Amino acid sequence: MIVRRLTRTALLVLAATVVVFAATEALPGDAASLREAGRASPEQVAQAREQLGLDQPVVVRYLRWLSGLLQGDLGSSLSSGRPVSDLLGQRLPATASLVAVALGTTALLTVAGLIVTQLRRGRGGMLAAGLAAVPQAVYAAALGALLSATLGWLPAVSLLPPGGNPWQDPRTLVLPALTLALPSAAYASTLLRGVLTDTLRRPHVVDAYRRGLPPMLVLLRHVRPFLVVPALQVLALTAGWLAAGTALVETVYGLPGLGGLLVSAVAVRDIPVVQGAALMPVVTVLLGMLLADLAAAAVHRTGRPATVRSARTVESSS
Amino acid sequence: MTRLRGNAVAPGVALAVFTLALLGRSLAPNDPEQPVAVPWSAPSTQLPFGADALGRDVLSRVLAGGANLLGVALTAAAAALLIGVALGLAAGWWPARAGRAVRWLGDLLLAMPALVLALVLAVALPGAAAVVVAAVLSGAPLTARVVAAQCATVRDSGYLHAAVERGEHGAVVLIRELLPALRGLVAADVGLRLITALQLATTLAVLGFGPQPPDPDWALMLSENLPGAALNPTALLAPAVPLALCALLCAATARTATREREGVW
Repeated sequence: MIVRRLTRTALLVLAATVVVFAATEALPGDAASLREAGRASPEQVAQAREQLGLDQPVVVRYLRWLSGLLQGDLGSSLSSGRPVSDLLGQRLPATASLVAVALGTTALLTVAGLIVTQLRRGRGGMLAAGLAAVPQAVYAAALGALLSATLGWLPAVSLLPPGGNPWQDPRTLVLPALTLALPSAAYASTLLRGVLTDTLRRPHVVDAYRRGLPPMLVLLRHVRPFLVVPALQVLALTAGWLAAGTALVETVYGLPGLGGLLVSAVAVRDIPVVQGAALMPVVTVLLGMLLADLAAAAVHRTGRPATVRSARTVESSS
Repeated sequence: MTRLRGNAVAPGVALAVFTLALLGRSLAPNDPEQPVAVPWSAPSTQLPFGADALGRDVLSRVLAGGANLLGVALTAAAAALLIGVALGLAAGWWPARAGRAVRWLGDLLLAMPALVLALVLAVALPGAAAVVVAAVLSGAPLTARVVAAQCATVRDSGYLHAAVERGEHGAVVLIRELLPALRGLVAADVGLRLITALQLATTLAVLGFGPQPPDPDWALMLSENLPGAALNPTALLAPAVPLALCALLCAATARTATREREGVW
C-alpha cells in the first residue's frame, strides 16, 4: 500500500517535471533568442544557443536537465550566473516561514469558522464560498489599506534583504500571512463543510443531538473524529495553494522568497530559475498529499475503534 | 415561483454587472488615461471617485477597466468548460479507455497550482494567453471529472439505450441525448471556472504580466492606488468593489446551481 503510494507520488513528480520543462522550453522563443533579443546578430544567437545546449533535441535537453535535477543541479541563472539551487536555498527560509505561519492561521480560522457556522445551524456557507472566490489581490489591497496605510500598525513592505531572517521582525510576516490565510481558510471551510454536513447526518450524531447533549460537546466528541482524515487532505492541498500564492504576496509586500523569485525570473525569462522555483510548490503539494494519505492510513488503523468506543460509553452512561 | 425567482437573482445581476463592465469605456465621462485634476484629489461632484496618483479620473478608469479583465476571464472559463465537458463526456461514455486517461491527467494537474502553471506559461506566452491556457489545464480536468461521474449515472437510462438501439451515431447520442441531462451540472461549473479564471487574470495583471500602464485595469488599479490609500481611499475601493462583486456573483451563481453539491470546487 505504502509502496504503491510512493510510486504514485514519484510518477506524478516526474510528470510535473515534464509539464514544467515543456511549458518553458518547448514553446516558441528559447532562452538564447530571448536573452540576446535585439542586441545580437543571428550568428551570436546561434553561438549562445550552442553554448546553452539548445541546439540539441528537446528530449535530450529534458533528460540532461532531469539528471541534473536528480543530483541537485538545476543549472545556473541566465541573468546572474549563480547556481539555481543556491538562489532557491537562500530564499527558502522566508517562504517556509511565511507558509508555516499562513498554514497555522488558516487551520485556526477554518476550525473556528466551521464551529461558529455549525453552532449557528450551518448559516454562513454562502459567506465562506464568496470569501474564497474574491481574488487575493483584493485582500492584499484591503488589508494593506486598512492595517498599514490607514491605521499604520504594520509596515507596507518588508525591507528584508534576500536570505534575511523574517523572524528578526515578525511584523513583516503579518500582512502577507493574513492575505494568504483569509481566502484559503474560506476555501478550506467550503471543502470541509460538505464532509461536516454528511457527518452530522450520521445516526450516532443525530442521536447525540436528540439526547440533548450540548452542541459543542457533540461536535468535539462525535463529529471531530470523522473530520480528521479529510482535514489532513485539505491541509495538504492548502499548503500547496499557499506555496503558489506566495508569488503574489511576496511580490506585493516585497518579501524575498521563492514566490517573488519565480515572478521576477518569469519577468526576465530566466528559464532555469523559473523551472526550479516552479517545481517547489508542485513538489510541496505532492509530498503534502502523500503525507496526508499516510497519516490517513495510520488514523484508520488506530483512530476508528476509539471513536466507536467513546460513542458506546456515552450511550451506556445515558 | 419564489424559488425560481430566487435562483435567477445571482445570474441576472452577474449578467448585468458583466455587461456594464464590458461596455463601460463608452460611458466614461473623461479620458481614463489623461490627468484632469490634482493627484489624489478627494471625491467631489465633478469627480465622484476622486483622482489617482497622476490625477486621472478614477470613475472613468473604473468604468473602462473591467472590459479586458472580464473578457480574459470569460474566454478562459468558456474554454475550460468546453474542453472539460468534451473530455468528461468521452470519459463517461468510454470509461475504460478515456476515463483512466482523464483521471490521471486530473491528478497531475490538480497537483500543479493554477497560478504556478500560469506563471510558467507566461515565460513564452502573453499574459492573457497564459491565463487562458492555465485555466483550461487546471479547470478542464475538474469539470471533466464531475461530468464523467454524472455521465456514469445516466449511462444506463432507457432513453440512452433507445437512442443507441435506433442506430444513432455516437457523437449524436452524446450531444443530443446525454448533454441535456448534464445541464444543471454544467451551469454550476460555469461559476466555478469563472472564479478561477478571474483570480488568475487578476493575479497575473497585478504581477505585471497583463495590461501595462497607462491602460485602465481593475487589477492594475489595485496596485497603483494602494500607495495613496490614506489620501484617497475611494481610488482603491472603486476597482476593489466591482472586482469582489464579480467574484461573489460567480460564487453565488455556482452555489445556486450547485445546491447540494458542496465541496466540488
